[in-house]
Amino acid sequence: MSEANLPFIGAILLTVVGGAAVLTWFERRLLGIWQDRYGPNRLGPFGILQVAADMLKLLTKHDWIPPFADRFVFVIAPTAIVISMLMAFAVVPFGPDHYLIDMNVGLLFFLAMSSLAVYSVMLGGLASNNKYALLGGLRAAAQMVSYEVFMGLSLMGVVMLSGSFSLVDIVEAQQDGWYFIPQFLGLYVFIIAGIAESHRLPFDLPEAEHELTAGFHTEYGGMKFTMFMLGEYCGLILLSCMITTLFFGGWLGPFFPPLVWFALKTFGFVCFFILLRAAIPRPRYDQLMALGWTVMLPITLINLVATGAIALWMNQA
Amino acid sequence: MENLAAEQSILPVFVFFGAILLLVATMLGIASVLGERKQTKTTDLPYESGIIAVGSSQVRLSVDFFLIAIFFVIFDLETVFIFAWAIAFFELGWHGYLAVVVFILILTIALIYEWKSGALNWGVKSQTARKETS
Amino acid sequence: MTVDETQNLRPDKNHGIPDSTFVASHVQKTPDSVKTYWVARDELLPLLKELKPIYPMLFDLFGIDERHREKATGQPHADFTVVYHLLSFEKSAEIRIKISIVEPETVPSIVSIWPAANWYEREAWDMFGIVFEGHPNLRRILLPPLWEGHALRKEHPARATEMEPFSMSEELLDAEQEALLFRPEEWGMTQENEDSEFMFLNLGPNHPSVHGVFRIALQLDGEEIVDAVPDIGYHHRGAEKMGERQSWHSYIPYTDRIDYLGGVMNNLPYVMAVETLANITVPDRAKVIRIMLSELFRISSHLVFYGTFAQDVGQMSPVFYMFADRERLFGIVEAITGGRMHPAWFRIGGVAQDLPEGWDTMVREFIDSMPARLDHYEKMAMQNSILKRRTIGIGEYNTSEALEWGVTGPSLRATGLDWDLRKKRPYGGYDQFDFEVPTAHRGDCYDRAVVRIEEIRQSLRIIRQCVDNMPAGPYKSEHKLTTPPPKDRTLQDIETLIHHFLNVSWGPVVPAGEASVMVEATKGLNGYHLVSDGGTTSYRTRIRTPSFPHLQMIPLISRGLMIPDLIAIVASIDFVMADVDR
Repeated sequence: MSEANLPFIGAILLTVVGGAAVLTWFERRLLGIWQDRYGPNRLGPFGILQVAADMLKLLTKHDWIPPFADRFVFVIAPTAIVISMLMAFAVVPFGPDHYLIDMNVGLLFFLAMSSLAVYSVMLGGLASNNKYALLGGLRAAAQMVSYEVFMGLSLMGVVMLSGSFSLVDIVEAQQDGWYFIPQFLGLYVFIIAGIAESHRLPFDLPEAEHELTAGFHTEYGGMKFTMFMLGEYCGLILLSCMITTLFFGGWLGPFFPPLVWFALKTFGFVCFFILLRAAIPRPRYDQLMALGWTVMLPITLINLVATGAIALWMNQA
Repeated sequence: MENLAAEQSILPVFVFFGAILLLVATMLGIASVLGERKQTKTTDLPYESGIIAVGSSQVRLSVDFFLIAIFFVIFDLETVFIFAWAIAFFELGWHGYLAVVVFILILTIALIYEWKSGALNWGVKSQTARKETS
Repeated sequence: MTVDETQNLRPDKNHGIPDSTFVASHVQKTPDSVKTYWVARDELLPLLKELKPIYPMLFDLFGIDERHREKATGQPHADFTVVYHLLSFEKSAEIRIKISIVEPETVPSIVSIWPAANWYEREAWDMFGIVFEGHPNLRRILLPPLWEGHALRKEHPARATEMEPFSMSEELLDAEQEALLFRPEEWGMTQENEDSEFMFLNLGPNHPSVHGVFRIALQLDGEEIVDAVPDIGYHHRGAEKMGERQSWHSYIPYTDRIDYLGGVMNNLPYVMAVETLANITVPDRAKVIRIMLSELFRISSHLVFYGTFAQDVGQMSPVFYMFADRERLFGIVEAITGGRMHPAWFRIGGVAQDLPEGWDTMVREFIDSMPARLDHYEKMAMQNSILKRRTIGIGEYNTSEALEWGVTGPSLRATGLDWDLRKKRPYGGYDQFDFEVPTAHRGDCYDRAVVRIEEIRQSLRIIRQCVDNMPAGPYKSEHKLTTPPPKDRTLQDIETLIHHFLNVSWGPVVPAGEASVMVEATKGLNGYHLVSDGGTTSYRTRIRTPSFPHLQMIPLISRGLMIPDLIAIVASIDFVMADVDR
């Protein structure tokens, strides 16, 4: 797909945005199953039309900009997370021929885009001029900025083994074996850093409804709130896509077509993240930071040193 | 591989970006047209648990937040060097490896220093406060 | 404790107080046989100081408006009475000290002796206008800041028909809102120190984690809590005032709504207090039925605690499992009483109905299934390392602090004090049951949860004994003040018919006197102090709830911690605002 293929762009956007919308329903149903309750089951078959109902509701909400807020930043902030999360899909290889662009710095592009999401949450919190939002924004900045460091470092093992930042190359380099085996430490750190970056429960401290009511998006409502949610769910899908690509051989797999394999693996990780949300309590703010700097960072460094030594040694032999 | 990637046009990314902007603008646009308009006495008050806010939300922040920002700058900059090494890992061989191990060691020493100086366990220092005072 | 002392539940001795102290004072006989002394105003402080080592807990402090009393014999003339109700844990005994005041006399504040007196004295001022001299911040606590008058004074109207229809005008709304604005200077807080500027944050009244409508005004340095001011009263419904206008019988449903998670457990101290005044003996079957239902509600309340505790530290799922269990439990309650959360099912002299056929099968099914489920929850929630890290060592207090501040129930036992009223001074037939009193030792958030969870298991044990040994016999007393009175002979002789008619239409006339009864409720000691002036309604209904002093302690245990810790503390206290504000 080397030329600007409009149908393909449309397909990506439709799949991701539509997927995120359906995910809001799917997550509630799945949580319902795990928690001995129904979840939304009234509208349409299995309640799937709940998505449409929610959309209608959010569209007709008061499009309110607080007079006490920094108006410009307040509006820009939620769009930033959607734009950056969706942009990152430009480099995701869904199949051997199904990607928008194969950048030679694809992995860095992904990291850059996911860091941009930090600004969205932080600026949203600060621009609201509300104390809960301010605390949420500060938490977001500290948490996401810390985990940013380990997220990048945890992927360097993969880069060393494949010798490329291009995501297509990385998938193709996994023909002989998926990287989740040699890079299990990297995978571990990447998953944790990924949840922290996408600020979902158990690491939803910027939002933490039990502590900060709604955290950084306390003053948001209607479509601007939807943007934050959309960004969060896109982030969840993106994270699952990246785990699939970097550690679980992307589209590789027998019998089924590549796209099916990619979708299956990604779906598996999406379910995994929803399960995490159902199961684990939220650590305290300083505990999360301490975990990052005193456990995650050393693990990534050990992973780098060990991966380097073993890879070089095996290369010689 | 990189040559092949370099030959590709960057155009699709810009088209993609444009499409996303269009999507976001449409969503916000529709919402601002369809959204209800309601103005009551309390609509324009900031939310603070349903009660009139006390004081300002613009306060000087404690130094802990800035410490984290500084750590980030230090470690993220150093990460960039590791990125550069990782991509050329096999070409650089054992020499490169040793150099990076030394570099990582320095990083680790910096981390241990921060750890020991108590800059990383914020919050914990205050937990003991009551016991000391009481 | 010696055998002699345990049997002598309410000893007539002076508990080691030198008799000379009471030379100038007056002893009052009460139907509940709690030693009650009237002391002079200037004797009060020295006496209380002397009593504190023996009676370390200020159990309750409240006022009584005596101006409309008709049958107050054997007590000094007074406009108002202030009652200090003290509790000894070593001797498991209680004592009441009363002082009388004639307006405009004031009362010396005892905040310097018991810090817990702070809120109680504010409440007495709020409700009666009794001024406590030397109180650090005597201001309204339960009523809105702009309220006029003192609600529990007899001249204050109690019924909507006695006053103008209420309407909240725009101006009044603005004025009330303005009056609720938190002003740090009023609480001696500064805006900044040399290091940083403080942020003041209203956590509540409308906040997901304050379990109702409860405000904690926080002084924050970043996320660290420098100081906190709990603000209550948003859920105040005047339950004590209602007690003065409802008949003895028709007040029972109001008690259900005090600790709304405790259901019929709230009826128990109230009906027992009325039974003490009327001298009614309850038959054994009624006693065991009462205990069984009370323990079912203890489980129900603790399940809600368990779920919301996990929920408040961010664990999403447990609360759904526990509510499902609670739903099954309510199925049993519904089958027996017809109600669910608020059955209002205990009656003066017994219970409303006999148990339905097949009740034991339902109860047995429930108690058989629960232990395995509790084991499962233990693994899911209590053994989770993140939950442990969030709650161990957070919000600690020791036994002596707990006694100082009036902490009772599981929160007290979490500090290691093995004191359960059901064991130490069994009421309503608890002496017949075999169960253990769980304790813990650190007194932190985690331990408060551990004790409650173990109590669920002990309650299951008690319920099993109830099911296995349910005595036969009547479910309410034959006493003529039993309400509703036995009906079977009403159509046989005129005397019974008259009694029945009067008792049902006016309600029972309870002999004059006063009695207080406390029970080990779900959240701590819940006590009702009833004063009867020989009428069809209570003259004064005082409800001592456990949650009220528990909340007062929040600033002490949350200073220096962070907002998430405060949420864990609030969750571990296990309060409902209806129980605090009444």
